[in-house]
Amino acid sequence: MKLIACLLLAPILASAQCAIEGHVELPKTKSAPVMTKRYEIVTKGGVLSTNPPVAVVYLEGNFAKPASLPVKQVVQKDFLFHPSLLAVQTGTKVEFPNQDDAYHNVFSFSPAKRFDLGRYRPEDKPVPSQLLDKPGMITLRCDIHEHMRGIILVLDTPHFVISDPEGNFKLKDLPAGSYKLKAWISSRTTLEKPVTLTKGSTTKVQLP
Amino acid sequence: MRSARFICLVTFAMAPLIVRADDLLDRAAESLSFSGFDDQVRARLSGLIDFEFYHFTHEAPGLIFTDDHSLLSPRFTLFFDAQLGSNVYVFAQGRVDRGFDPGDGDLGIRLDEYAVRWTPWQDGRFSLQAGRFGTVAGNYVARHLSWENPFVNAPLIYESVTGIYDAEAPSSAGEFAEGLVEDKYDYNPVVWGPSYATGLAVSGKIGSFDYAAEIKNAALSSRPESWDATDDGFRHPSISTRIGYRPDIAWNLGVSASEGAYFTGAAAHELPHGTGIDDFKQKVLAQDVSFAWRHWQLWAEMYEARFEVPRVGNADVLGWYVEAKYKFSPRFFGALRVNQMLFDNVPDGEGARQPWGHDLWRIDTAATFRLTPHAQVKLQYSLQHEARVNDAVSHMIATQFTVKF
Repeated sequence: MKLIACLLLAPILASAQCAIEGHVELPKTKSAPVMTKRYEIVTKGGVLSTNPPVAVVYLEGNFAKPASLPVKQVVQKDFLFHPSLLAVQTGTKVEFPNQDDAYHNVFSFSPAKRFDLGRYRPEDKPVPSQLLDKPGMITLRCDIHEHMRGIILVLDTPHFVISDPEGNFKLKDLPAGSYKLKAWISSRTTLEKPVTLTKGSTTKVQLP
Repeated sequence: MRSARFICLVTFAMAPLIVRADDLLDRAAESLSFSGFDDQVRARLSGLIDFEFYHFTHEAPGLIFTDDHSLLSPRFTLFFDAQLGSNVYVFAQGRVDRGFDPGDGDLGIRLDEYAVRWTPWQDGRFSLQAGRFGTVAGNYVARHLSWENPFVNAPLIYESVTGIYDAEAPSSAGEFAEGLVEDKYDYNPVVWGPSYATGLAVSGKIGSFDYAAEIKNAALSSRPESWDATDDGFRHPSISTRIGYRPDIAWNLGVSASEGAYFTGAAAHELPHGTGIDDFKQKVLAQDVSFAWRHWQLWAEMYEARFEVPRVGNADVLGWYVEAKYKFSPRFFGALRVNQMLFDNVPDGEGARQPWGHDLWRIDTAATFRLTPHAQVKLQYSLQHEARVNDAVSHMIATQFTVKF
């Protein structure tokens, strides 16, 4: 039934061709974290890359859910989560491969998904994964390396995009109608603006 | 005792607030990070707030110092970590508590650790560290802080005092054979906790092997007062090494060795004529293994220690433990540890030989519940058996509430 609905909706959505482009005011870039190495016999470097702030911009509304969603990954590499911010639609399966030659222990206490993957080798199969079936923000942490932080934003919409580090974004292939456009910047800041999309137009938005 | 109960009540009343303050603690962590010079200098303050409560059926066990059967031990620990470029790492640890080990003394403030580490190559083949820091021997130091330790206390070999008395030399074999007759704080364990003595260390990794060696101002058994370089300086250095082998990231096997004079300067005038502090050493050989996979973590260590005791000879002791931790759920884990210490015979001064301590074993069980990523509650029960005529079995219950920021 869902498949038929998707097939029927697909040409309508494709013909809508609405878009929103704009800019989100982002906070200043944070410094890279300090890796705690007090009791490690083997110390490897100390330069961790900085993750510049970006926004997740999404359109809130009642949209049909696809029958299946592509599997996404959050990789543990160089003692960081890559990407450090992932946006997915509700129902997406996310894998957590470990590509370091050391253990990590990914866990989340977030109400949207509470899990602890334990310690696993890079070659262990299957790669530990989680089905994210509830919308909300999931904070990823490592039980071994306290500086490691990642965020997965689980959204009840298929229309979302991550801005570039300057705050610019473009949402394409949107259906015409009136919606709420939201820009998630951090756990404490989500900007929003009502938008009305007309068929074939590109709407320009500045947030806030 | 009333004040201890009051602090306990306040602690548990605080727990729900801490749970709600989780986001605040995350923000506090961000606010306590600093950077400059285009991110080439980055520093961070972090800390632990601990409230520990112990109740024991007999005299206070291990390195707990009180005459009562209960003790409340609050502790505030502040850490400083800084990365200077890619090659230099600096860290320090300061504490406010009632003594380095749990006790009923007055609150005091101390700087327990400070060190600078230089890592010239990014592949980790070599690091040089100077300062006051935990020993490289064994595998316990990496998890001795309250957040990482699945138990409230340390394994027996790191906290159970022996008949070794570092401030005075025994006047005869008979006196040494009497065992612990003075105040417990006068005696020494095989390794005093993390042994934050002062010195230099080199460490690194080559293929599947890693190595570490340190030269410090005090032996592994030395007490916290001896760890400062201002006490006896480097007149009686101690050397410790560890060679580790990692067949893969799940396993870590190591062999450690240590040798150093264990008497403090105060004992010098009591040593046999013609001998000095450097003639009486603590010698240690230790093996350690750890394994981790999925929700299991296992550690084991065995220490063979020898103390060269004036007018007695060699006093040998063997100590070992096996420790397992299992995460039942993202927020709840349990741990079990079996410890044992076996004392060899020494002359009793009357022509015979007898053990220089009571053989003992202890079983520790603990459960930890993580309230949030920043707060946890731990509950431990320990059953100890000592090979003596009276009061062979003793029990201890301990609880610990920790906030990490």
